Amino acid sequence: MREKATTLYIGPQHPGITGNMMVRLKIEGDTIVKATTEVGYLHRAFEKLQEKRNWLQSFTLMCRFCVPETDPMEELYARAVEAIEGREVPERAKYIRVMVLELARLASFMLWYGGQNGSLGLYTMGQWSVGDRNYILDLFEELTGGRVYHMYIWPGGVRRDLPKGFEQKVLKTMDYLEKRLDDYDDLMFDNAIFKKRTKGVGIVEKETAIEHGVVGPVLRGCGIRSDIRIDDPYEVYDKLDFIVPTQDGADIWARALVRRQEVRQSIRIIRQVIDMMPGGPVYNKIPNPQKWTLPKGDAYVRVESVRGEIGMYAVSDGGLNPRRIHVRGAAYVHAITLLEDVLVGENIADVSAIMNSLGTCPPEIER
Amino acid sequence: MKEIKADLISKIKASFDNVTEKDFDGNRLDFHVETRFIPQILTYLKVNLGYIHLSHISCVDWLEDGEFEIVYIVWSPEDKLKVLVKTRIDRETGVLPNIDMIWRQANTYERELREMFGIKIDGLVAADEFLLEDWEGLPPMRRDFDTEAYADETFWKRPGREDAMDVREAIIERSREEIPDFAKKYSR
Repeated sequence: MREKATTLYIGPQHPGITGNMMVRLKIEGDTIVKATTEVGYLHRAFEKLQEKRNWLQSFTLMCRFCVPETDPMEELYARAVEAIEGREVPERAKYIRVMVLELARLASFMLWYGGQNGSLGLYTMGQWSVGDRNYILDLFEELTGGRVYHMYIWPGGVRRDLPKGFEQKVLKTMDYLEKRLDDYDDLMFDNAIFKKRTKGVGIVEKETAIEHGVVGPVLRGCGIRSDIRIDDPYEVYDKLDFIVPTQDGADIWARALVRRQEVRQSIRIIRQVIDMMPGGPVYNKIPNPQKWTLPKGDAYVRVESVRGEIGMYAVSDGGLNPRRIHVRGAAYVHAITLLEDVLVGENIADVSAIMNSLGTCPPEIER
Repeated sequence: MKEIKADLISKIKASFDNVTEKDFDGNRLDFHVETRFIPQILTYLKVNLGYIHLSHISCVDWLEDGEFEIVYIVWSPEDKLKVLVKTRIDRETGVLPNIDMIWRQANTYERELREMFGIKIDGLVAADEFLLEDWEGLPPMRRDFDTEAYADETFWKRPGREDAMDVREAIIERSREEIPDFAKKYSR
């Protein structure tokens, strides 16, 4: 006998560590037969506000788009403005940018460790990783004055040079984190519960991934080697030696393995960057911000964030303010059409884990 | 990269009428096309030429021209080239063809265009509301939408700030001093 379908609402309170959004599920027993993503709880009209502010004022909103991706957003804005204006960036600033972006990536991965495990009821991991994330935030605090929102990578370079002895502190933190990763492996990847709850769950096949425009670890988790840092390199990524890990499983487990390897690659990149960093200026000064205009034109730039490609389309009409800023986050694709498809046939207990694994981030959907 | 771009331009121009291209430094190439060709040109790029990744769909409101410019950005992992396909439609009467049968995720972009700019999309099947709820009046991302007037009508002033006085003016009034010249331009 067919069971009667019931409607279940996940959210709009934070479902896991993602942000406010709602997934409306139609369930039979505890199996999902239909899922609908409903967003609209977080819209802050940043893109509209940016049209009303000058180019420098608009920059200060960028890092607020998405909390775990503050630096990639700044990088996008800086590079879009530089592309429209043709402004050169000093070589040292490029290296510092890569170091900051990779530190931000690590900080974001630490949040992911907590979110992914928390969604399966394994809370110790989150306490460890979010605790260790604080060491990275300490570095950011010393460098920029802010722990989460940095406003450091801005058009023309970076805001100020590294403090004295900062490189050594970064290297020390990297040594510490690398040791901790072994502990993380014991707690997470050797955990029978984690294995059992993630293998064969939340499968995104290759064809589905291409059809949906999937990016980042989700794409690499189904065996496709794709990374903006390699495919469309920016700053100095083309001079660095690192690999792009892939897995074939296409499930939560495979994506977790991809991320686990990426953390180690980030540490490797940071060490290389510090080793190769040249001297010189870090900032190609912009004119008086109140009178700063950009030539007419547009630019589309992309960076590889923890969740995958983030892109920004920026248009200047030659005036004091941006004509249009439009950000495309990885979650814009993953959390709506893809999530709605992937959830069908899954168990309701796995919804939160799947959402975390796909990199759901509602602030990216509603900018 | 030059050969790839030249090859692409010749292929697109051989298959479609009224296409103009604009080349940029690096791995970017723009095409300006007629709106009615959008589904065909994007299908051609995806199926025949390997531009399998739809990176972005954006819209720019050119209020002074009375037009919206829609920008489709596609990427080829093989050619390592990003192609911007641009088209312009009339702000009031223009209709955009639906492309979510080519890429599933285009559905989300189109829902946002419909809601935030009020663009009609021919053949789009999706729930009416996306980000907004019970929205009436001008779509909010249009250039002629007055954000300040909307805020004044919709929200009430914080108690004690009903007069919406500038902070500097309020301080000056209380301390009975004059606003220094350099600060005057920042006051309302």
